[in-house]
Formats: sequence, structure tokens, C-alpha cells
Amino acid sequence: MSLAILTDLTRCVGCRGCVLACKEINELPAGSTERLSSLTWTALERRAGLNVRRQCMHCVEPACASVCPVGALKKLPSGPVVYNERLCMGCRYCMAACPFRVPKYEWDKQLPRVRKCVMCYDKRLKNGKPPACTTACPTQATVFGNRDDLIREARSRIRAGNGRYVDRVFGLEEAGGTSVLYLSSVPFDKLGFPTAVDREPYPLLTWKVLSKIPDFVGVWSVVLLGVWWIVSRRMELERHGEGEHPGADRRGSGRWQRSGSSG
Amino acid sequence: MARLWSKVTFWRVVAAATLAAGAYATVVRFVMGLGASSNMSDGFPWGIWIGFDILVGVGLAAGGFTITATVHLLDLERYRPIVRPTVLTAFLGYLLAIAGLLFDLGRPDRVWHPMFWWNPHSVMFEIGWCVMLYTTVLALEFSPMILEPLGYRKPLRVIHLFTVPLVLAGVMLSTLHQSSLGSLFLIFPGKLHAFWYSLWLPVLFFLSAVAAGLSMVILESFLSARAFGRRLELPLLEGLARVVVVVLTLYLVVRFQDLGSRSALDGFALTTGEEQLFALEVFFGSFLPMILLSLPPVRRDRTGLFCSALLVVLGFVLNRLNTAVTGREGTMDTVYFPTWMEFAVTASLVCAGFIAFALAARYLNVFTEEPARSDHRFQEPRGKIGARIGQLALTTFGVAIVVAALKLKTPAVAAVAPVPAEPVATKRSALTLPPDLTFPAGKDSPGVVKFKHRSHVSAGRPDCAVCHAGSFPMMKTVQGIASAGSDRMHGADRCGGCHDGKRAFAYKEYCEACHTPRPKTAAPSATARGTGR
Repeated sequence: MSLAILTDLTRCVGCRGCVLACKEINELPAGSTERLSSLTWTALERRAGLNVRRQCMHCVEPACASVCPVGALKKLPSGPVVYNERLCMGCRYCMAACPFRVPKYEWDKQLPRVRKCVMCYDKRLKNGKPPACTTACPTQATVFGNRDDLIREARSRIRAGNGRYVDRVFGLEEAGGTSVLYLSSVPFDKLGFPTAVDREPYPLLTWKVLSKIPDFVGVWSVVLLGVWWIVSRRMELERHGEGEHPGADRRGSGRWQRSGSSG
Repeated sequence: MARLWSKVTFWRVVAAATLAAGAYATVVRFVMGLGASSNMSDGFPWGIWIGFDILVGVGLAAGGFTITATVHLLDLERYRPIVRPTVLTAFLGYLLAIAGLLFDLGRPDRVWHPMFWWNPHSVMFEIGWCVMLYTTVLALEFSPMILEPLGYRKPLRVIHLFTVPLVLAGVMLSTLHQSSLGSLFLIFPGKLHAFWYSLWLPVLFFLSAVAAGLSMVILESFLSARAFGRRLELPLLEGLARVVVVVLTLYLVVRFQDLGSRSALDGFALTTGEEQLFALEVFFGSFLPMILLSLPPVRRDRTGLFCSALLVVLGFVLNRLNTAVTGREGTMDTVYFPTWMEFAVTASLVCAGFIAFALAARYLNVFTEEPARSDHRFQEPRGKIGARIGQLALTTFGVAIVVAALKLKTPAVAAVAPVPAEPVATKRSALTLPPDLTFPAGKDSPGVVKFKHRSHVSAGRPDCAVCHAGSFPMMKTVQGIASAGSDRMHGADRCGGCHDGKRAFAYKEYCEACHTPRPKTAAPSATARGTGR
């Protein structure tokens, strides 16, 4: 079962309860509530007359987790993309790769960390409690549940809305699907959502190349060894022809020694 | 004293100033952090330390594996004299790239983590391992230069025994990570301009690294000839130049084939900054040197060869910077231009490279032949057609870069007009407000306080932040908050903040407005918890 969050922007009244609950549970200092930052893991942007709650999209196949060289970011089967700050070496590839530009960095610290929403995994989810933001919402604009159930709910709201909603559940297929879903009455591109993101999971882009490496190593070694063998054999025959008889031990007096003499 | 002054030359002063600035920047970087020393930000997490120090540093060291393979695998003995200086250049290139990485990593103390925590799905993990192993290979290939003057025979014999396996491993590892540096950017669709984002990035990165690596060997031979009075192996370098022509041709074919198939060049007009940079990079950095080096008069002329090789290297630098920095500017939220400290660190690393090379050339067995100091001094030929063409091309490139840089104003950040937020009219009944809360009564309190969200939240424009951003944390229990005592509760940062007689009735006016008088017998039952749902 994969857990997810559905945010219905038409129901949001902009009270910022989610932002504050997030800051409280994660012990983040006060600061701007309108932009994601290392101190604000969910923010409330006001765009096109709507209050747009931003947070990590918790992709089903996250780019950040696939690019992390040490596996500090991980997608859990239960839904959240979590971060192990003790492994992170600070290459910031996750930030560069995230199609939603979510992870933020503690640029002003000497020993910085990547910061982003982790769906309250350690603080609440692990103990069977829903994320703080969804409990704080007074209008059920943002709700927590099973991803499949939420998709069904979102679709039925679109159907029942009679044109109230844009016919699109953002996060259903974006970047291969996300565990944070949005409904809106305004087209998503007007709300600053990256609507042009690929429908294919991002990790595939690099995996298509990486997965070929073992085959490539095999073929390339054969080619290199072949070239070396042919060339050195030819040189040896040439030398033979010139009357320079290599000794009984072919290797000993052949190319090994020669390459060693001034390598 | 006079002897001391004679050692002060222009370049030494420049080097000293650069290193001093770099030392200052280093202290700022490691004491104050990345934010204080660089202009990188959440909107632009990778800067020139990745774009130049690592991508260029590793790429220009590609001469190392190509030359060792030429001599030890293809048995082209005549290239042997340049093996050692090339290996030295490559080794220094990798060491400096690793040094640059230590500056760039947020936690340089954990640079070793990929050795123990693996993620085979990460391109960077693969590059990390390859670079680590290849630097070891280079260190071993370099070691005879240091072991010979020390006279260590036994280790030398062991190393010599492993020459060919080392070269093979070097070619394998280099092929993998030179191309993977391009694969790093495959996961940036939509974040890198179409001129540079391509599914062929791994192939393009590999080919351009080979061309630039060989050009770097040519340049390095010229510089050592000049600095150490070495004989210039001109026929040998000419041979390398021919290979550069072939590789550049292949590179351009793949590049334009790919750009064409994606229709990335449709409507190309040389007007945008990206178009100009692309034109500069491809025309001056690949096409022009390919033509020049295929002309025997240019290729066989010292100046012509030098200028053409320099064009390839500069074009390579531009390509890597375009891929890592400028090609991303257009799609990022923020504008990035490095701080002087970022430049200082990068310049210091380059400077350290030159100094290390000079020291190694002086004290180690880098050049195995006799120095031919007096006879073969580097001479500037005058009036030769090849030299003129080369100089002209290089100068034009220089001028074009300066012009483009001056024209490339900082792209105006699209001023997004703030959309006035329409108040979302909400019926009070649509709000699911938290249940009523009962603050327990203290000793001297007239009674418990029943708090109703319903009478405190404006239905038209509810704003939790009014109270919850301050001293009424959502996730805390009522008891926890009330335990502060009545003075605190009546204070300006709690109830008293609004109940001051102006915004709302004053708390002093009428206690029973909030406090429920104590029942005479029963003890107060305060069980309500906050929103600990």
C-alpha cells in the first residue's frame, strides 16, 4: 500500500495551518511561508487567485533518490521519499535533478544538509499518524490516504464538479507519477506547476545508459585486449623477421620487458 | 638581495596574487560555508566548481589515456617521449579536479562515502568510482618518475611488470567516466537548453574529451619547450593534430546529426545569448580548428599548430561551461554569476597545476631525454602563412568571446506581477475547525477557559498564522501551553495580544467572559488535548 496526499486547491482557504504545523513538527524556525526554503518545507503561494500549497511531490520513482551517489535519499514502499543526513556528502545532484525543484540546501551553514518534506515519516507516519499538514487543514483541502483511493476520489470530484475543476489530476502521471496529487480550478501551468515534465520516470533517462555499462565493459575489454594482442604479436613477428630472436621465454624478452624499460 | 629580485618575474607575481586570493577564499569557504563564498543557491545548485574544475579538469586530462594507449597498446613507439609529461599532466588534472570537488561538496569530510554506501543507479556514483580507480592508475603510471631519482629498483620492476594491464585499465576507466560526465546531464530534460541537452551526451563528452585531451598534449609540449628549453617534437605533434582532425570531424557529425534530428537548430538566428555561445563554441572551438589542422601549412607551423590546439581547448572549456552553467541559466529561477572567490579558487587550482608541473619537471624524471637547451630554443617564426592564419583565428575567437560576454547581459528575471489574492469566500460551516479546547485553571485562576475556534476564526478569510505562528503551537497540548501561568497567558504574546481593549475586549474587563467560574465542589477536569490527533 502506498500512501499519498491529495491537495484540492479549490478547497484551500489559505489559512497556512499546514505550513505552521509543518514548521512545528519539524522544529523549523519561523520564516517566509510563501516560498519553499531550507526552513519551509511546505509553502503557500498565492497564484491566479488560488492558494497553492507546495511541498515535495514524493515521486513514485524519484529522480533525487536515483541520482544520489550514496543513497542518502530513498523512496520507501509506503510512499515518502526520506533523507538520511548522516550519509549525504553534499553534492547537490538531487537539487539539480529534481524536476519539481524541491530539495533545498542550508547554504549558510558550515556543515549543511539537504532539506525537504519527508511526509513526517520519522515524526508521525512511522507511528501510524498522518502527516502534520493534513491534520492541521481545517477544510480538508489537503488529505492523506492510500494513493489509489485518493486518485479515485480526485476523479470522482472532477466528475461531480461539473466543470469546476480542470480535467487533470496533477501527479497522476507527471514524472512517472507522484505520491502528492493536486486538483485545481485553474490550469496548472498558470499556477507555476512544471506542466512540461516528462511522463516517463526520470531515473530511466540515466538508467538506460548505466544499465549498458556491464555489456560495454565486456565488449570493450575484448576489443582492447584483441588490439593489444594483435599489435604485439605483429611487432614480435617483425622483430623475428629482422633476426632478433626472442628468447625461450617469449614474454620475458618480448613486449613486457620492452615496455618496462622506459615506461 | 639582487639575486632574490631577479626571481621576481611577471608570472610569479600573478601566481602569488592568485594563490593569496585563493587562500582567502578557501578560508571563507570552509569556515563560513558555501553561501558565504559562492553565488550558488537553491535555484542554481551547481556553479563553476563543477562546470570548470571538475568537467574541464577531468576532460583535459584525457590525453593521459590516449597517449599511453597509443604507445603501449598500438605500439607507436615514436610517441614515447611525450608519455611521461602527458601522464604527469593527467595525474595533476585529476588531483586538481578532486581538490575542486572538495571545495564544491557541502560535506567534503564525507567524500569517501561512495566507497561504502552504494547506489549503482547514480551516474555520479559510477563516476566517483572510476575517477578514484583511474587516479590510482595514474599515480602508479606516474610513480616511476619519482621512484627513479630515488633509486628504488624493486618497486620499479613491479610497476614495469604491470604497465600494460595498467594502460588497459586506464583506457577502460577513462572511456567510462569521460562519457559518464555527459550522462550526468541526461536527467536534466527541460532544465538544459536544447543545444546542449542530448541523449548523445555520453558519446559527445567522450569524443570532445579525446580531441581536447590531445590538443592539451600539444599545448603542454609547447609550454614545456618554452619553459624548460626542451626540443619541440614537431613531427610528433603534427601526428596528434591529424588525430584531432578525425575526432573533431566525428564529433561534429554526431553533434549536428543529433541537433538536426531534434530540429534544435530550426530558426537559428544568432540573436539570443545561447545561440551566440553555441555558435562560438561550435564554430571556433570545433569547426575552425578542424579545418585549420587539416591544412598542412597550418599544422606544420609552430604558431599555427599552437593556435589551433588552443582553439580546441578553449572551445572545450566553453562547451563544458555551457553545459553546466550557461545552458541552464535560461530555465532556472535565478541568475548565477560566480563570486570573485569562486574564480579565485578555480584560478588557484590552475595555478597550483602549473607550479606542480614545473616542480616535477625540475626534480623528477619527467623528460627522459637530454635537454637541448641552446640549440632548440622556442622561436617565434615570423610571416609564415600558417602562423598568420592560426593567430588570426585565435584572435577572432578571443574578440568574439569578449563581445559575446559584453552583450550577454544578465538575463532579466521575468518580473512576475504579483497576482492579488482574491479572498476565498468560505461558509463558516465549510470549515472543519478543531474542537473546543479547555485550558485548565491554575491555582489563583477564577476557572477554566473554554476556547472556541468558531468564535476566533474569520470565516471569510481564515488565517491560522495569526495565533499559531506565535505562542500557540498546534502540536502542543493545552496543558503545556497553560502551564506557563496566568501572567504569561494574559501577556501580549498570548491572549492579551488581541484582548487589549482595542482589537478585542480587554481581558481585565470581565473575567467570566472567558473563565468559567469554578464549581464549588468538583475538581476541575481538564482533559482536552490540543490537536494531538
